[in-house]
Amino acid sequence: MIGRAPRWTIVVMGVIALIWVIPLVGVVVTSIRPLDETSLGWWRLDKVSLTTSAWRRVWSEYPLANAFWTTTRLAGIATLLTMLLTPAAAYAFHFLRFPFRRLLLLIIINAFVLPQQIVVIPLFRLWREMDLLDSFAAVIIPYVGLSFAWSIFLVKNFLEDFPKDLIEAAKIDGCGPLTTFWYIVLPNTLPPIFAAGILQFLWTWNALLLPMLFLRTDVPLPVVLARVAGTYDLNWDLRAVAAIITAIVPLMVFLVFQRQFAIGAQVRSGAKE
Amino acid sequence: MSSGAADRGATSRPAREGRPEPADTGGWRPWRLTDAPAAMFLIVPVLVLFGIAVVYPLIETIRLSFYEIRGLAEPSYVGLGNYLTLFGDPTFRNTIATTLLFTLGVTAISVALGWAMAMLCSFAPAQTLPFRMMVFAAFAIPETVSGYMWVTILRPDRAGLLNSVIGAFIPDFSRAWLGDATTARWALIIAASWSAVGLPLLVCFAAVRAIPKSLIEAAYVDGARPISMMRHILMPLSLTGVRVAIFINLLGALRAFDIIFVLTGGGPVRATETIGYFMYRESMTQFKLGYGAAATVVLLIAVSVVSIPAIIQRTAQAK
Repeated sequence: MIGRAPRWTIVVMGVIALIWVIPLVGVVVTSIRPLDETSLGWWRLDKVSLTTSAWRRVWSEYPLANAFWTTTRLAGIATLLTMLLTPAAAYAFHFLRFPFRRLLLLIIINAFVLPQQIVVIPLFRLWREMDLLDSFAAVIIPYVGLSFAWSIFLVKNFLEDFPKDLIEAAKIDGCGPLTTFWYIVLPNTLPPIFAAGILQFLWTWNALLLPMLFLRTDVPLPVVLARVAGTYDLNWDLRAVAAIITAIVPLMVFLVFQRQFAIGAQVRSGAKE
Repeated sequence: MSSGAADRGATSRPAREGRPEPADTGGWRPWRLTDAPAAMFLIVPVLVLFGIAVVYPLIETIRLSFYEIRGLAEPSYVGLGNYLTLFGDPTFRNTIATTLLFTLGVTAISVALGWAMAMLCSFAPAQTLPFRMMVFAAFAIPETVSGYMWVTILRPDRAGLLNSVIGAFIPDFSRAWLGDATTARWALIIAASWSAVGLPLLVCFAAVRAIPKSLIEAAYVDGARPISMMRHILMPLSLTGVRVAIFINLLGALRAFDIIFVLTGGGPVRATETIGYFMYRESMTQFKLGYGAAATVVLLIAVSVVSIPAIIQRTAQAK
């Protein structure tokens, strides 16, 4: 705390924060009020009643249940892959010697620059040739591959403070490079691994561009929402439910794991703290 | 258990403070000749995925930008043809203008607001925690969702919040905000800033909190009031955080796609397309793959130029 808190700073921040959540409140209110009551605006109080009608009907109107399951699997697999492969590579880059080590490292950690748009055209052609369009791999491979740039950087940065004595002790006790990784380094590197996993989860869950282009039958939530968002249909209540269902998991994950997110977010975009 | 490991690391090398000098651990590796097989085992999965997802697309996008490709037909080499067409294309020139306006607008608005909020919050961190959470909530939800929320706010009828608020002062006011090129552009900037402000708040708040307490107490003793405290102590001493936030949001805005797709779809009449959207439109809906690839290369140059300082920093520090 900085000195005595002047009350007006709290009030001003509170007003800003209230303005900030108005769009969120609007969507929630629209989803639980009958459509005819909100046709002049969700804030109108001429007649107030609550209904779960939209929440019950939406499942048959939009393929939300299937999309939720698809999104969960996509984000889950991508997160597991990142949490598994990243520490192994970061450990090898930091503690082991092999040819072209520094060159490979530099190429990988500087790839944070690349936007996801870079993979659209080449991978669309490649997947079409390999008959991989409409498979989960078509989406998971690029999203995991693109994130190595920041996830490896994140874990390797953490390893720079890893006590060398521990590694030496393990070596004296007869551990090779692999057993040292598994028994000594991995259990002590969980915070950055979780940070990388959470960023990967949020990124894959929220992804629109590649799933929209590479998936057909089973599509994730953002693709379903984007499809119905721009149409001129008048199901404002149903679409509000769809928006809430798309947002609820990343919102919870973010609020619960805020600290890990803060560690990772800066690294992900290439700016070290 | 993390802090345990970090603490022991700190005690074994007490001189190290933050960033290591390259000479420190540069040559140190516990194993030697036997490393290569183990390293290969650990690293090959990453190299394979990275190769497919990054290296191949990068080279292939650049290569394809010199070809004309229509659908499934064989690509034909056109040299710089795509680039010449690109810069003669009025739509693309408009796209560049939109990209500049959008990127700079979103970065300026979100960083300025996030920074101001961070300083406001620093006077009473505990009491303002719920308020910060409310702003983070806008940042945490997917861009598709925030885009959709702004669709509802900007509805052309009176059920749109914006029309309704203005209508309270001007009778019978109603405007199709997303139907006009100028207002649609600004709507996009405001909507994107609304979500993007969370990160500057996060980063700047950490920077403000890192200012030594003694400096702040000294300012209080000298009779500083909140405004002058912000102006003379908090602002100049949190600039590192601001720089980080500017960089992250610049890069994020340059790559924007989701919010544009949901909110305006690039319209009206392609007026709100940025380069990252233009490449999608040309390659995936018009099937001009070579032309889209050339636009992607332009985007690539833009993000690389913005990232030069970060690339230099990373390269110098990587050991």
